[in-house]
Amino acid sequence: MTYDDHLIQTTAARFKPWQRYLLTTLACTATTLLATPLLGHLDLANIVMLFLLTVLLIAVSLGRGAAVLAAILSVLLFDIFFVPPRFSLAVNNIQYLVTFAVMLATALIVGQLAAGLKQKALEARIREQATQALYEVARKLAGTIALGQVIEIARDFIHIQLDADAAILLKDNPDTASGLTKLAFRIEPHLAQVAQDSGQLIRDSEIAGSGYASHYLPLRASMHTRGVLAIAFPADSPDLPPENLALLEALASLIAIAIERLHYVDVAHATQLDMVSERLRSSILSALSHDLRTPLTALVGLADSLFLIKPTLPVTALETAQAMHEQSARLAGLVGNLLDMARLNAGNVTLRREWQPLEEVIGASIKLLGGALAAHPVHVALPTDLPLLEFDAVLIERVFCNLLENAAKYAPAGTEIEIAAIQLGDQVEISVCDHGPGFPAGNLKVLFEMFARGQTESGKPGTGLGLAICRAIVEAHGGTISAENRGEGGACVRFTLPQGVPPVMEEESA
Amino acid sequence: MNAPSPKVLLIEDEKPIRRFVRIAIEEEGCQVSEAETMAQGLIDAGLRKPDLLILDLGLPDGNGIDLIHDLRGWSDVPVLILSARSQENDKIDALDAGADDYLTKPFSVGELRARVRALLRRRSRSGAAAAPVVEFGEVAVDLSRRVVLRAGEEVHLTPIEYRLLATLLGHPGKVLTQRNLLREIWGPSYIESSHYLRVYVGHLRQKLEVDPTQPKYFLTETGVGYRFQP
Repeated sequence: MTYDDHLIQTTAARFKPWQRYLLTTLACTATTLLATPLLGHLDLANIVMLFLLTVLLIAVSLGRGAAVLAAILSVLLFDIFFVPPRFSLAVNNIQYLVTFAVMLATALIVGQLAAGLKQKALEARIREQATQALYEVARKLAGTIALGQVIEIARDFIHIQLDADAAILLKDNPDTASGLTKLAFRIEPHLAQVAQDSGQLIRDSEIAGSGYASHYLPLRASMHTRGVLAIAFPADSPDLPPENLALLEALASLIAIAIERLHYVDVAHATQLDMVSERLRSSILSALSHDLRTPLTALVGLADSLFLIKPTLPVTALETAQAMHEQSARLAGLVGNLLDMARLNAGNVTLRREWQPLEEVIGASIKLLGGALAAHPVHVALPTDLPLLEFDAVLIERVFCNLLENAAKYAPAGTEIEIAAIQLGDQVEISVCDHGPGFPAGNLKVLFEMFARGQTESGKPGTGLGLAICRAIVEAHGGTISAENRGEGGACVRFTLPQGVPPVMEEESA
Repeated sequence: MNAPSPKVLLIEDEKPIRRFVRIAIEEEGCQVSEAETMAQGLIDAGLRKPDLLILDLGLPDGNGIDLIHDLRGWSDVPVLILSARSQENDKIDALDAGADDYLTKPFSVGELRARVRALLRRRSRSGAAAAPVVEFGEVAVDLSRRVVLRAGEEVHLTPIEYRLLATLLGHPGKVLTQRNLLREIWGPSYIESSHYLRVYVGHLRQKLEVDPTQPKYFLTETGVGYRFQP
């Protein structure tokens, strides 16, 4: 039983129109026959009442059209069979015309009202049934754990309620939509796309009933349009009754919510997986870091401690010890770089961002490098009105250390290293420049790739990880980094940090 | 100087590291005792009453931070932490729990000896009444009169700047964590507002350092806190 059948069956008008009018005529005739014997006993006014009662009953049971017919017939029959002279349309007393007019008006109005009420009650019942059906669907959809179930429930509903076939096209994977290959109808992809993009119902009555889906409803959820519900009506009733549109839209919302819920279940699941693998990765890294650093720490310290042995070792032995110390310290630096790169490359670096002045981290980096910068005075020129910036101090310190270390490594002893910053729109650009030979000609972007070295056969020690680490850190902060050679000679690395809006500070009342 | 040689307790599970640390500290004229585990370390700390405790944060049998908490219940012996670079949070927790200083692995014997010397010096001095006048560089701070002089001229400090200065001067050489300083000077509700601390340290440097961008006395321990280095 389709929705439409329902309408006809539950309406009293379960008859064809001509049957309804025939019944009306019969009922009026029957009233006439019934009232005729009473003519001597009842006032004409009371016979009018009988006719009005008939009209009312017909209106309730057979609807509006029948009520109108009954009203007119009643007036005619009353005139012909009851008002003197009987068996004629003529009227003796002119005041019966008033009776006719009032009777007709009353009959029409009562008939209209009764039929209207009936219709309302009927619609309410249909709505209730639709609501009930939607409620059932919502309940079923809430229990789904897979997309396939959602699609099946939706198709069943449309099949039962509208006697139509349906398919769901998903935005994310258009091909897998409810096994399109098994569909008994075809989809017009262009219309589906329009529905998806516009978020409106798209219908094309031209192709309805021809084996194509004619209605495309966007599945709008709170965040996105998740896909399109395509409906194909059978050839014998190719269009959607307008009263069913609301039902379909409600269904589309329910499906969209169900799909969205499943989507977020997936997202939550993936996030959990990510967290587990992230935890695993970081525990491996920290174990590795501990295992590598411990022997290196021992090596650096043990080489150092040779200087403390009494009696003092011969000079050559001490030179060897010094070399051991330097080499193991270098190795420790390389291992540190590798581990940093691994940690940064593992993705999801958690930045400990805090608002702070840039000069502080620069000062800390210079202090940290200490002796390595002894031969290169560092000139820091920051604008006095430079706002606080939000960054991870430990990581940005690494950036400065790596850049200063590079500058000290390549620029001749005694030359100055310059650190400067300027505000450029919503960014602050920081530059570290030296007076050395500059970067080798060629693609300067390659410098920031992992394991890139300025000079391929350089005698300078290094892994080529320094700049790659800088890039990873700067990019994690939402900035960019680039290298260039200055016109007057020397290498320059510039990187940006976003400015943001620093937190307000309460002024001290002093 | 005929004082008995200071006792140092070294809690570290790696033998090669214990070996060179012992050599370095003995060179400073200390008696060194060693413990391999946290449990043993805690017992030794109670029995031997060392003048300095050197603690590796990565012990196999537990968290060094708990040991510091326990220890601080009954002892104010200086604690020097040894930690890896990736353990920023552990470092901060250890310092907040009451550790005095830290060294990041790998470290050189020179750095180690300097830290040990500084901590022992502070320990021996802590008995004496704090000097009312602290001098560093061309700056002299008279804590009793709340007067700050730079090259003989008075420097005006706001109340908060003065409080920050006095707190830092009160713990020479010790690393004070951000959390610690914020709580002490601004109050508990400011613990997350680290920018206040940063800005005020900047003010102090502007007023008291020769080159504020490359400070010599008010040092930044990046990601951890600050240290006043006399």
